[in-house]
Amino acid sequence: MMLRQAAKKALGLTSRQSTPCSVGISRSYHENVIDHYDNPRNVGSFDKNDPSIGTGLVGAPACGDVMKLQIKVDEKTGQIVDARFKTFGCGSAIASSSVATEWVKGKAMEEVLTIKNTEIAKHLSLPPVKLHCSMLAEDAIKAAVKDYKEKRLKTNGVGESSQA
Amino acid sequence: MNKSKKLVASISTLLIRRRISHPSSSTLRCNPLAAISTNPQTDLNPVKTLAVSIRRLQFSGRAFSSESSDKRISSVCWNCGFSSDKAAFLFCDSCRSIQPVDDSVNYFQIFGLENKYELEGGSLEGKYKDWQKKLHPDLVHNKSQKERDYAADQSAKVTEACRTLTKRLSRAMYIMKLNGKNINEEETVTDPTLLMEMMELREAIAEADDSKELNQIQSQVQENLKQWSDSFADNFESQRFDEAVKCIRRMTYYEKACEEIVKKL
Repeated sequence: MMLRQAAKKALGLTSRQSTPCSVGISRSYHENVIDHYDNPRNVGSFDKNDPSIGTGLVGAPACGDVMKLQIKVDEKTGQIVDARFKTFGCGSAIASSSVATEWVKGKAMEEVLTIKNTEIAKHLSLPPVKLHCSMLAEDAIKAAVKDYKEKRLKTNGVGESSQA
Repeated sequence: MNKSKKLVASISTLLIRRRISHPSSSTLRCNPLAAISTNPQTDLNPVKTLAVSIRRLQFSGRAFSSESSDKRISSVCWNCGFSSDKAAFLFCDSCRSIQPVDDSVNYFQIFGLENKYELEGGSLEGKYKDWQKKLHPDLVHNKSQKERDYAADQSAKVTEACRTLTKRLSRAMYIMKLNGKNINEEETVTDPTLLMEMMELREAIAEADDSKELNQIQSQVQENLKQWSDSFADNFESQRFDEAVKCIRRMTYYEKACEEIVKKL
């Protein structure tokens, strides 16, 4: 608990009486970002080798962030039933990926491909300098879906050849 | 009257020649031609106008030369007119006045280094201190506002130059930029091998319990940094710029990991 307080202080997240996010001396995180940081949802990992899991692993070249987003897909319906993320980066990157995991749950794969980084950024009121974090989250979603589809192709290919 | 008009004409020709040969030159900040030709007071006092125009030209610290293909730079002190052929003319030793910042002077020139990635050890610190002894704003309190502004700008530039060249990663990025090779920082990295390695590295840092473990990881990362730095030097010299960019990416990740370790320690 104390460590978290210390961490929050270090990141300058202690001020809850958030002044409107003006570019200047006091720049505070939006309450949504703080919320995702304090109450992280869906942190963790699935088994990469599980056929129903799609793993998206992306990185931001400028700041050296790494983001992993995993989706669990129902094979029959094609719906995403669960999601996990693990991100090493700034508060905005962590919040963006957390939001992403929340938004993909319960949706069809084709639908989540339409999630735009601008929506994530708007939800978190990200300042311009942090927009690339939301872009990273959008890329992570796409990468996870792509990975799942490729895995399915491989397994189907094997399945078909074994039937012959 | 005639003589000054002839002088104006010849200077105009030189200017035209200079502008044609250096279309992208940013040294001629204003348009002296316009000043000379459209100045309504030309007839009244041509000599004075000419003097003003010449002073405007010298404001940027660079004298024009009619030999357009001549690579020799000639810098002129705004205060005493002393002409120097140093690549980085930041300070006039003749009258001891600080010169305005010239954007065409790059960081390597400031430290008298060749435009290449590898540096001899310890060459930066000493020269940095020498420069600051001449340029620092604290030393120019009783000089004109103009010179105090120059001091602030030059001092800041020298500090930035030192900072950029000291660290391997920033030096690598700077030298790429200097050679016109811009690194696209927007594009998301998707290389699975690289990202897996970095993920594992960051996880190891997060899970490390004591400083001994962290120090171990740190020395490993430092070693990797050195290795990739050498690889960058090699690729850069051989003009394999795509490979060089990959090296920079790796170095960025390792640097970030180092920062995290330091935070934890």
